[in-house]
Amino acid sequence: MSAVPARVLNELFTQKLGSSEGKEKMAEYGGSYIRDRLREVAYSRKILPPEQVTRSDCQRSVNHDTLVKIVDVEPQSRALTISFRGQPTANFIRGPKAEIGFFTISSQIFQKTEQELLAYEMPITKIIEENSVKDIQEVEDREFTVNIEAAVQALQAQANGGGSGHALDASSLQAGTVVEFSVRKGELARNATTNDATIRPIQRPDLVNLFKLLDGNRLRSERLLMTEVDWDDILQWTVEDFGDRLQSETAVDGFKYNTLMGRAYIRTVKTDILRAGNVYVFTKPEFFGKFYVLNNTKFYIDKIANVITFQAWEDIGMAIINIASVRKLELYSADANPATNAESLLTDFIPVTEDSLGTPNNQVDQGLTFPYIVQY
Amino acid sequence: MSTVQIINFTPVSDILPIQRRDFPLADPTLANPLNAVALVDGEWMTLNSSYQAIRASDVTSTSAYASLRCFPLFAERGRYDVQAMSLHKTPLLYRGDYEFDTRIFALASTQGGAAISTILQPLTVGTFTIGSRNYVGLIGHDGTSTNLKPIVGYVTKLPTTNGGQLRFISGWRS
Repeated sequence: MSAVPARVLNELFTQKLGSSEGKEKMAEYGGSYIRDRLREVAYSRKILPPEQVTRSDCQRSVNHDTLVKIVDVEPQSRALTISFRGQPTANFIRGPKAEIGFFTISSQIFQKTEQELLAYEMPITKIIEENSVKDIQEVEDREFTVNIEAAVQALQAQANGGGSGHALDASSLQAGTVVEFSVRKGELARNATTNDATIRPIQRPDLVNLFKLLDGNRLRSERLLMTEVDWDDILQWTVEDFGDRLQSETAVDGFKYNTLMGRAYIRTVKTDILRAGNVYVFTKPEFFGKFYVLNNTKFYIDKIANVITFQAWEDIGMAIINIASVRKLELYSADANPATNAESLLTDFIPVTEDSLGTPNNQVDQGLTFPYIVQY
Repeated sequence: MSTVQIINFTPVSDILPIQRRDFPLADPTLANPLNAVALVDGEWMTLNSSYQAIRASDVTSTSAYASLRCFPLFAERGRYDVQAMSLHKTPLLYRGDYEFDTRIFALASTQGGAAISTILQPLTVGTFTIGSRNYVGLIGHDGTSTNLKPIVGYVTKLPTTNGGQLRFISGWRS
C-alpha cells in the first residue's frame, strides 16, 4: 500500500466526512489490515426487535429531564360456570403498566492529531467509526443479558421460597434441596460429582427440557440463544439424535437449517457477554419485553486546529416486562445464582464488566508475532 | 438551614470543559427515588476500590466527613436514565474547574473546622441533616494547615445573598 489511504483520510476528516467520494475511496483500502476479532450485530435485536419511538411516545418527569415510555400489560380476565340463577364474580378492570427508561450508549471519544494520522496506511478513523456501531450493540447485548439473567433468577428465587432463593448446583440438585423453575441444569451437569465451571456438551434432552420450562406455563418457546461454543457441541450429536440423513449432512456442511427442534436459534460469538454454558429460550417478543430506540446512532466529528475528535451514540430503552417469558439452561454444575454464588464461580458465568469489553485477542504490542522482526 | 428542592445543584459556569464521568453505583438502590437516603444532585461522592461511586462520607452518621478526594453528583434524584442502565451509572463532575450553586450544604456545621461564614472560605464535605433526612454535602473548613480534611472548593456567594443557595468554585487541597 502506498501513502494514498492516509491522504484520503486527511481529506476526509478535513472535509468532515462531507464527500461521498472520500467514503468510497476509504472502502477501497479498507481490507488491508488484520482484524482482531469478529464483530457481529446485536443478538438482543434479533430477540427483541427494536421499535423506533419519538418524543411524543414518551412521558416526561416533573422531577428531572429524562424520559420513560409507559407500556400497557394485558389485563387479567377469566370465565366461570354459573347456575341459571347465579351471577358471575365482578372484575373491576385494571391493566398493569410498566415504565421503560431511556439511556444513552456511547462510543468512547476518539481523538487523534491530523499529523499522526499520516502514520497509518489503514483508514483507522473509518474503521473505528464502523466498529463503533458494533461496539454500541455489544453494550446493548450486555444490558440485555444482564436483564434476562435477572429475570430468570428472580423467578427461580420465587419458586424456591423467595428471598435470594437457593444455590442451584449439582450437589443441591442431587440432594433435592432446590427446585428448577426458570433455570435448569443440563443432564451432564446435574449428574456431575463436583460443582465446577466445566461446560458440559449440550444434549438433545437438555433442549427439550428447557423448552418444557416455557411450554408448561401457557407460553411457547420460540427462540433459542446460545454461544457458538455450545452450538459446536450440537454438531457432536450422534446418529441417534440426528438420524442418518441429517448426520451425513451435518458432517459435511454443519447444521444448515433455520430451526432446531422447531425453534429458531441465534448463535453469538460474544462469549465475553453471553458466557459459554448458558442457553436461553424466549417466547415471541409480544409476550416478553420491549426494545425502543429513541435516537438512532448519531455520529459527531469535529476538528479543532489539528485535533480530530469523533464520537457515536444512541439513545435506547430496553426492558423485560414479562419475566416468565425467558428460561435458562446451564451446562455447568456450579451455582450461578448471584445471591448465593455457592462455589464463588459466578464471574465465569456472567457477562464481563463493561470496562473489559473489547479486550484484544492479538498481542502485537507485546511483540508476539512470529517470526518477530526487529527493525534497526 | 438549606431546603432541598427538586433541583439542588445548578451550574453557574460553562459545563463543557468539565469532565462529566459516569460511574456505577456501588449501591444501586440509591438510584431509587423512594429509598430513604436516595441520592440527590449536589451530594458528594468518591470512588471505591472497584471503581464504583459511593457517598463521600457515611450518610447514617452526622459526625462523618470525607477523608478522600470526592466529586459532586450531577444527577437529580431518581433520574430514569440512571435507573434504566443495569449498572446504574451516575454522572460525577470528575475533573476540571467549575462554579455551581448548591442547596446541599450545612451553614452552621463546624465538624469541618468552621461554620460557613465568609466569602472564599474553604469548603469540605460531611454528613448533615436537612429536614428529616441526612445528606452528604458541603460544610465549612477552617483553612488551617493542621486541618487535614480535604478542601473541595471555596465559597463565592453566601446563601444570604444567593436566594438560599451556596455558590462555590471547585478547588482542591488534601
